[in-house]
Amino acid sequence: MPEIKVTPLGAGQDVGRSCILVSIGGKNIMLDCGMHMGYNDDRRFPDFSYITQNGRLTDFLDCVIISHFHLDHCGALPYMSEMVGYDGPIYMTHPTKAICPILLEDFRKITVDKKGETNFFTSQMIKDCMKKVIPLNLHQTVQVDDELEIKAYYAGHVLGAAMVHIKVGSESVVYTVSVNKFALCHSGAAWIDKCRPDILISESTYATTIRDSKRCRERDFLKKVHESIERGGKVLIPVFALGRAQELCILLETFWERMNLKAPIYFSTGLTEKANHYYKLFITWTNQKIRKTFVQRNMFEFKHIKAFDRSYADNPGPMVVFATPGMLHAGQSLQIFKKWAGNDKNMVIMPGYCVQGTIGHKILNGQRKLEMEGRSTLDVKLQVEYMSFSAHADAKGIMQLIRMAEPRNMLLVHGEAAKMEFLKGKIEQEFNCYMPANGETVALTTNPSVPVDISLNLLKREMTLGGPLPDPKKPRTMHGTLIMKENSLKLVSSEQALKELGLNEHQLRFTCRVQLQDPHSDSDTLHRIYTHLKSVLKDYTIQHLPDGTVMVESIVIKVSSSAEDANAKVLLLSWSYQDEDLGSYLSSLLKKGLPT
Amino acid sequence: MMGETEAVEIDDILDDWFIESLKSYKDLHVYQLEHPTQIIEWTSGKTVCVAGYSSGKNEILELRLPLRLLADEKKGLCAERDFKVVHGGFSEGPVCCLRHIPGTRCAVTNDGLTSDLQLWDLGADDTDVIRKTGSLPGTSVSQAGSRITARLSSPPQVLHGAQSSGVQLTQLSTGQTLYRLEVDSTKPLSSLKFVSETAFLASCCDGTVYLADTRTSAPPQASPPPGECALWWTDASAASQCRVIMLSSSGQAVVSDLRNLGGALCQAQLDVQTSPRKPEDVTVAWAPALDGCFSVSGLSGLVQIYDTARWRAELQDASPLFQHAGHSVSSQHGDGSAPIFITTHVWHPERPRTLLSAASDGSVHVWDWVDPQTN
Repeated sequence: MPEIKVTPLGAGQDVGRSCILVSIGGKNIMLDCGMHMGYNDDRRFPDFSYITQNGRLTDFLDCVIISHFHLDHCGALPYMSEMVGYDGPIYMTHPTKAICPILLEDFRKITVDKKGETNFFTSQMIKDCMKKVIPLNLHQTVQVDDELEIKAYYAGHVLGAAMVHIKVGSESVVYTVSVNKFALCHSGAAWIDKCRPDILISESTYATTIRDSKRCRERDFLKKVHESIERGGKVLIPVFALGRAQELCILLETFWERMNLKAPIYFSTGLTEKANHYYKLFITWTNQKIRKTFVQRNMFEFKHIKAFDRSYADNPGPMVVFATPGMLHAGQSLQIFKKWAGNDKNMVIMPGYCVQGTIGHKILNGQRKLEMEGRSTLDVKLQVEYMSFSAHADAKGIMQLIRMAEPRNMLLVHGEAAKMEFLKGKIEQEFNCYMPANGETVALTTNPSVPVDISLNLLKREMTLGGPLPDPKKPRTMHGTLIMKENSLKLVSSEQALKELGLNEHQLRFTCRVQLQDPHSDSDTLHRIYTHLKSVLKDYTIQHLPDGTVMVESIVIKVSSSAEDANAKVLLLSWSYQDEDLGSYLSSLLKKGLPT
Repeated sequence: MMGETEAVEIDDILDDWFIESLKSYKDLHVYQLEHPTQIIEWTSGKTVCVAGYSSGKNEILELRLPLRLLADEKKGLCAERDFKVVHGGFSEGPVCCLRHIPGTRCAVTNDGLTSDLQLWDLGADDTDVIRKTGSLPGTSVSQAGSRITARLSSPPQVLHGAQSSGVQLTQLSTGQTLYRLEVDSTKPLSSLKFVSETAFLASCCDGTVYLADTRTSAPPQASPPPGECALWWTDASAASQCRVIMLSSSGQAVVSDLRNLGGALCQAQLDVQTSPRKPEDVTVAWAPALDGCFSVSGLSGLVQIYDTARWRAELQDASPLFQHAGHSVSSQHGDGSAPIFITTHVWHPERPRTLLSAASDGSVHVWDWVDPQTN
């Protein structure tokens, strides 16, 4: 039976270093290649030895697909392609391709320069890796080769995040990391509806959460900013160039307008240029709110938000500043932080995850004294606020996705087995559900449909046989000959097949002699045989023909006297191959003799 | 990075209330369950149970409150705002009443159709499954569901019944009946509550209240309804003074002392927007940590908090100290469908102003309100 095999190399029953191997229709695909952020040694990389023990992966993989730019999904990519070795195609969406190298380089810098690690990929390796990337457009079918087809769909999780549809022949797999409500209601989501892949692979990390509304997160953000401003404090918001900055700006602008606030809001210029550039490139990937703003006016022509100048950091009074980089590990945001950290009226709002080793990470862990360059210490007196705006799906979202897609099998990764029994049970009420551990292969048999053309003659013949009309729900047995020519399959009658193949039809006849003790005359014996068979074989056509034979269906029975024994008769039975069964039966029956 | 987009129309409607909420709530969390719940029951200081009440199969979920809410001094460093489903299970029928048995990981439910009870194991750390472990038969042949209550006892026991004549105290492990309330009347109950280790109040829908003790088979003290009204709800406070509040479907609220149920200490007329018709429509609860304050839902689309401190013996109109309008304001239902109503609400056992409320659209809110008088 055909099978699709799925093996998680990371994120099996584990959070972090997502990397899943899929074998479908003879093709091997790697889905994501992430780094585990919790480890400092080789455990942070997926275990590629499952693919091969000896080095390069190129011959073993048909392609690699990256779902989005988060490091736990792409962090190990340069390691895999340049240090382990892979030269085949790497697919990802345009925004992912643009953002990945930036995050990878940032991460490399922190890990190598700040933490002094050695077994790590270099800047050149990141560049070489990205050269192997083939960008994907949404809804565009890409033929990886003659048989393997992939297509990316909007997932909405982060900028550039995609769900991937993989198809080989009539078998398919859909992989999604996380999909938010918007993506499911989006007009472009119609494809998921009843797409019925053989396997739907999804993360289960958030399947056990029920998310607080976006409005409440925004409320908390505004409340914190407002409270600081009201007491005359300064608020620093370190952001990535492509982060939540734009949305938070729109939110603050609306709020400032509504509340008639006067305190200045600044946006550091480095951010403006980069962000503007990327937003122009990826306008189709942004959400409605941002698109509306961007189309109506230039992104950063806000009434209350102005470009920042480093001298403003010393101005008295309340203000809000958005500055890069997001983890406070260098640059302008760190400079401002150093100036404002000593005042308890001030606040820093961290809108996302910070990598270990950065100042952002330290203060989010409650550290109130920081060691800076030149052995100086910084006392952290300002208020530290950690806010999460990530748009991942939750329990409801995942069930919605599964019910829309109607997969034949559901496969969950990224969760702890013991804590997923309820979710598994819930899904299993409607679908098959699997949760493999790292290195564990799940082999799922598929039932691919094989399309076959049927000749009109054969169809007509079946109809004349009577019975119910052809019904797609009721399988029906029929006889025919299957001709496989190139990639097409055809079902024809045997005569037609012989003709097409230029073969002669041969007939096969069996003959059998049965000795019978019977003193009667030949014709009497024949008549007795006729009567006997008539009483035994009530459903069959039995004829006593004038030429001295008895016919049962197409089987011919003749009687002649035995040359050796005057009281014995020799019965000659003859039948064609098609009546083999009946013929054998008759010969056994007659061997038993005739009733008296 | 990129956020999801919610319907623009709802965003606009939320604006006024949303902006106001910055000042009127210390914390506010808004959740959407897959199916609405009629029960919110504390299973620890950090976890609650919710369950579906549709006619077929329903889920029972044990949810852990968002860490950020509970973090207090370290709040700023905690970004975790979501409910976590820590345990889940399936019930074959609706869950209309669910009680956690204190000191155990056991819960008792009733389907609102008979007086039988189902027993559940809420699960430990090594599993996330809530399993049914057995059932207890009720006594009444009534069509209504049972009220259930329990207090800390060893071995664990549960007090339950659908009618005044059918109230019994049952030992969970053996199913043995340890006590029966001896009354002749068969009045449907609106609530059962322990007021001490052995004394309890059995409050009937018609306003009659029985004060009984499980140690004695002597007949209970019966207190007649405080006024003419079809439906009454009762709650007894855990505080030392032990106040009892009774609320009628016409909005009359009467406060009395447990030792003198018939005598009203003070009373007030509350405003009723939507007339409640069934016992499940209304929830009345004293605040566990705010003396003299109680909450009510079911008289309108809001959860209202009243302070009885200034109430007098003569009936006068009272206005709420605080109102939570979150559910009606952010209702997911459009025009034309039935208006949403609040199915239940509870106070946090220790945090003075934290409440959880649930509505018929599946929404669950967790809110910590600011006393308007302190502004």
